[in-house]
Amino acid sequence: MSPEYLGQLASSLSGGLQYTVGLFFITIILSMPLGLMFTFLRISKNRVIRGITGGYVWLMRGTPLLLQLFFFCYGITAIPGIGRYLVMGRFESACVAFVLNYAAYFCEIFRGGILSVDQGQYEAAKVLGFSKWKTTRLIVIPQMLKVSLPAISNEAITLVKDTALITAIGVTEVLYFAKAAVNRDVNAMAYLVAAAFYLIMTYGLTVLFRWLEKKYHY
Amino acid sequence: MEEMIRVENLKKSFGQDEVLKSISFTVEKGETVAVIGTSGAGKSTMLRCLIGLEQANGGTITVQGESFLKDGSYVAEAEQRRICSKMGMVFQNFNLFPHISVMDNLIYAPVHVRKEDKKTAMERAMEHLKMVGLVGKESAYPGQLSGGQKQRVAIARALMMDPDVLLFDEPTSSLDPQLTAEVLAVMRDLAQKKMTMVVVTHEMGFAREAADKVLFMGGGHILEEGAPYDIFHNPKDARVKEFIQSIL
Repeated sequence: MSPEYLGQLASSLSGGLQYTVGLFFITIILSMPLGLMFTFLRISKNRVIRGITGGYVWLMRGTPLLLQLFFFCYGITAIPGIGRYLVMGRFESACVAFVLNYAAYFCEIFRGGILSVDQGQYEAAKVLGFSKWKTTRLIVIPQMLKVSLPAISNEAITLVKDTALITAIGVTEVLYFAKAAVNRDVNAMAYLVAAAFYLIMTYGLTVLFRWLEKKYHY
Repeated sequence: MEEMIRVENLKKSFGQDEVLKSISFTVEKGETVAVIGTSGAGKSTMLRCLIGLEQANGGTITVQGESFLKDGSYVAEAEQRRICSKMGMVFQNFNLFPHISVMDNLIYAPVHVRKEDKKTAMERAMEHLKMVGLVGKESAYPGQLSGGQKQRVAIARALMMDPDVLLFDEPTSSLDPQLTAEVLAVMRDLAQKKMTMVVVTHEMGFAREAADKVLFMGGGHILEEGAPYDIFHNPKDARVKEFIQSIL
């Protein structure tokens, strides 16, 4: 096993990085605000709204992400009536499945964070004249994010590894190329190279979140 | 004398539990009113009704001639907010915003609620920090302060909104005696400057020396009301007498 072979593998696997990294960022950037929106619906005073979001979270957390991936890629177009308007590329349908799935997890993480904010904070904000929206934006969300940071970090690291699932619907991400190389060369080395790719990405996230936790320590 | 707050026949229940049965009193402008009494007498509940943190079940609350609760019904929410904004409140647990600095705690409401210019707000904040003896702590976070310092920041924060009345809900109950003294010193200073204050407290020394008027609450009523000397040396109500004797 020569260094050249390793180099070859690394360069061929990095051809899949755009999808792996792309899916990661698209999911993080879209699922966090969506999850936060679900959180507010989840704790709303309206029982129906609360029930619907509760059901959504149950559905998304209670079924395999791989199943959801298959559904959005192959199943959704079969829905009578609207199915034909929902035709997407493989990567796009992966993005939809991931964003909707991770939003459910973030919804629960943020809900826990919001419940941890002391009632006294709302009272202090009220007597100082803050509106409900400003109280939420300036006082509740920043404190909620701090409390949620370790759980967000956990989710982000899980997400890096979950991106490998999209190889199952034929998106040419890192693991897809690794598998191809293993089959082609009858040599499992490519799997180790792929593992190194994921480890580097998760290490970067670990460092980033450690820094964030330090920064927001008060 | 100008009347600042008028409370008539205030009632409040939590479920079956009637905490305030019928509370009536007035607070004059520039007056320091100490509210004392047995635990569970409804002192804090009464104070929280005054600023809209609890919904009363009956009665009238008038601030500077404007009622936000009239014969048991509240006026429109915007109107309530406007009238309540004349009052500031200091809590037992300080309730500072932990995620922002002392300076931001002070200027957050003036800048975000009143749209005051940040620079002028910061200048005013420095004056208030000077008044409470905390110059040099503006960039500290609440978590880095002692309890007494936190409560003094909370007082400064309330003063930043230029309230006509300051309400104190057991401001020293979670502090040790030394820290209590530094908070009481700030409150005495405010009393001398003729800030109108309603203070729910267990600090009998403060009630006796700094208050203009003492309200003694028990069983959801005001049992006795008067000058501190009369309450502490010459109580008329038997329950007040018993309480005073038990603490002296």
